[in-house]
Amino acid sequence: MEEKTHTSIQYEKELHGIKKDLLYEGALVEQAIERAVRSLLERDSDLARAVIADDDQINALDEKIEGACIRLLALRQPAAKDLRFITTTIKVNGHLERIGDLAVNIAKRAVDLNEVPPVKPYVDLPRMADITREMVRESLDSLVNEDCDRAHAVREKDEVVDNLNEQIFRELLTFMIEDPRTIHRALLITQISKNLERISDHAESIAKMVIYMVTGKNVRHRSPGEGL
Amino acid sequence: MKNNLFYKVFGTYIIITLVAMVAVGLYATRQIKIRLMERIEGELTSYARIISLGFSESEVKDTIERLSTLSNTRITLIDAEGVALADSREEVSNMDNHLNRPEIQEARVRGQGRSVRFSTTLGIDTLYLALPIREGPEIRGYIRLARPLVEVRQFARDINILVLQSFLIVGALSFLIAFIFTSRLVSPIQEMELFTKRLRNGEETGSLMIASGDETGRLARNINYLVAELKEKIQFADEEKGKLEAVFSSMEDGILVLDTEDRIETTNDAARTIFDLDFEGMVGKTPLEAFRNISLQQALDRFKQGGISLSREITVGEQGPRVLDVTISPVQGLPRGEEKTMIVLRDVTRLKQLEQIRVDFVANVTHEIKTPLTAILGFIETLREGAIDEKETAKGFLKTIQDHAERLNRLVDDLLVISDAELGEMRFSFESVSLGDIIEDVLPVIEPEALKKGIRIENNMPEDFPSIRGDRDRLHQIVLNVLDNAVKFTPEAGTVSIEGVDGKDGTISVRISDTGIGIPREEIPRLGERFYRVDKTRSRELGGTGLGLSIVRHLMAAHNGRMAIESQVGRGTTVSLIFPVFLEDITA
Repeated sequence: MEEKTHTSIQYEKELHGIKKDLLYEGALVEQAIERAVRSLLERDSDLARAVIADDDQINALDEKIEGACIRLLALRQPAAKDLRFITTTIKVNGHLERIGDLAVNIAKRAVDLNEVPPVKPYVDLPRMADITREMVRESLDSLVNEDCDRAHAVREKDEVVDNLNEQIFRELLTFMIEDPRTIHRALLITQISKNLERISDHAESIAKMVIYMVTGKNVRHRSPGEGL
Repeated sequence: MKNNLFYKVFGTYIIITLVAMVAVGLYATRQIKIRLMERIEGELTSYARIISLGFSESEVKDTIERLSTLSNTRITLIDAEGVALADSREEVSNMDNHLNRPEIQEARVRGQGRSVRFSTTLGIDTLYLALPIREGPEIRGYIRLARPLVEVRQFARDINILVLQSFLIVGALSFLIAFIFTSRLVSPIQEMELFTKRLRNGEETGSLMIASGDETGRLARNINYLVAELKEKIQFADEEKGKLEAVFSSMEDGILVLDTEDRIETTNDAARTIFDLDFEGMVGKTPLEAFRNISLQQALDRFKQGGISLSREITVGEQGPRVLDVTISPVQGLPRGEEKTMIVLRDVTRLKQLEQIRVDFVANVTHEIKTPLTAILGFIETLREGAIDEKETAKGFLKTIQDHAERLNRLVDDLLVISDAELGEMRFSFESVSLGDIIEDVLPVIEPEALKKGIRIENNMPEDFPSIRGDRDRLHQIVLNVLDNAVKFTPEAGTVSIEGVDGKDGTISVRISDTGIGIPREEIPRLGERFYRVDKTRSRELGGTGLGLSIVRHLMAAHNGRMAIESQVGRGTTVSLIFPVFLEDITA
């Protein structure tokens, strides 16, 4: 056990702080997605407005984490694994912030949709939301546990979400053709579906970053089926 | 090998023995050599003295030759300037000046000189001895005797052989003795070392058997004592730990113990169940890493700031969220710098639900009572304001008031039944009852309503249906409530059918099916709840109190039976009243 100097203790404390903030941001983002979707399914506009208001917290954390990372890079010159952690954190942080914004988009569409009667009962959308949230959660789990298997699992789910997104669009298209009065509402729903799909893309990116952080291998521009 | 006690001790013995033998050998050889030299020197001195006494220059040559042979020495005669005058071995003319030789110099100064050196002439260590020849005080010349130390060399060689031989004998002997001695000294120590090693590896050891009475024996006995003591203490600690762990893991409440860095150090089964994580998913992680629960983290942060115990209610779980009552407190009695945090998680989901049901119940009762009362008061007010004078209208109003009052009455009756059932204060008079009879009794009550809506009631109860043990009046109420619902929620010209099914498993059931509006699947589990209505407005229009099925549920439970509902929206509902068969011969 090497003797820890004052500086190295301080350094580790800063690293821990960053990790904690990142996870907290992740938790907030997970909550935002869950609430945004629930506000739609339960037609609860107050909840949706809470999601929109809470995004400030996510944005504040985003800035805080980025600042802390840059400070650490500048002052401590981390090496090897720490360096990979910091660079990964900067990127994951960006993805989380974007996911937060997409959740806000969903909440905004939910507020609009709650004003008008439903087009149809939601079937695929909740499923899609569940899988998407699962992806975000598991991508963060894989980050915490530095678990490549889980990260790979996240990548494979992305395709399911893509398919659901297309299916929702096709289904809504039939409604729109049948009854043009539904077009406005149907478009709002397709936007929500699109937002979920983009959240899942961000989750997949996080999973790829994790694989990079753990193995040092870059899988960013490869499909899940391709070997490493 | 280096760190082996045997080799250390044994090696030391051997080295000491060897050093001693070498020292003795060297010293003895040296002493003997010195003595021998002294003897030879003395001999030579005597010869020299004799020669110098009977010295005459003329016959010197001859004399030297003879004396040389006699004394087994080389004799040289040297004048005062160092020039050799005669020599018993060499030609004098070949010899150089001898005045600078150490023995001559010494003789000149001290009156006698000696020197040992390697003679180039003889090729051997040689002892030289010189005496001055005096005439009065004046030195006329020197006489020098030299004898090669062949004798000494031979002697030294003999001694060396002798010493070497004794070395071999003594060496072998001492090797043997050292070996035995070392073994005896070291083997108990080695045994103890092996013993403690096995002990450390946790193997079963028994006790040390060393019979010696010296320090090693005492040490062994002490070790035995310590081992026994230690075993006892470990066993005690294990037992205590086991007890604590059993308590810890069988606790209903989830527990997380966090170390100084807020990482989960220990947890129990309940916590694992609550968070649906395995041991690896929790231990060594911070709560944020493991659960990513915002409320929990906020509570923890608040605790960290204040350091005071606090309780919070948090929600965990994605599907079927659970409400947890979280208490965060410091672990007591730990030294500074090793503070730990304890998080106790109590699952209060069920409590919360019950609380919600109670709150709903009060709200519902109020609402249910308020609605008819408002109507009654409204109509009375209208009557007082003049409607009483219009006879026909007044009659209609009074009818409405009566209807509402009756509904209130029904509600209060139902509430009384429920309250009695829940408090367990309901009186039952159990007897053998035929369900067929009960249904026959109830049908006349329900038929007028059915006729009004054109609903056909088919009674398919078999004649020989087994009896059950029950309270006739309560069974009456059960069947009436269910049939009433069936008729109420079946549109005009529908059918309500009643059949008896023998489950052949010790239960029989009455199935009451309708072709009514049906109940959505997700609503079915909630049907027994008080005031729970699938379609609130419609039910109230039909005059229900919202307590019918709740009463059925309670009464069925009192008969050791249960109610099962199957339904398809738009198709109809089947309510099965399942009773245990009454076996008369057993109770008789």
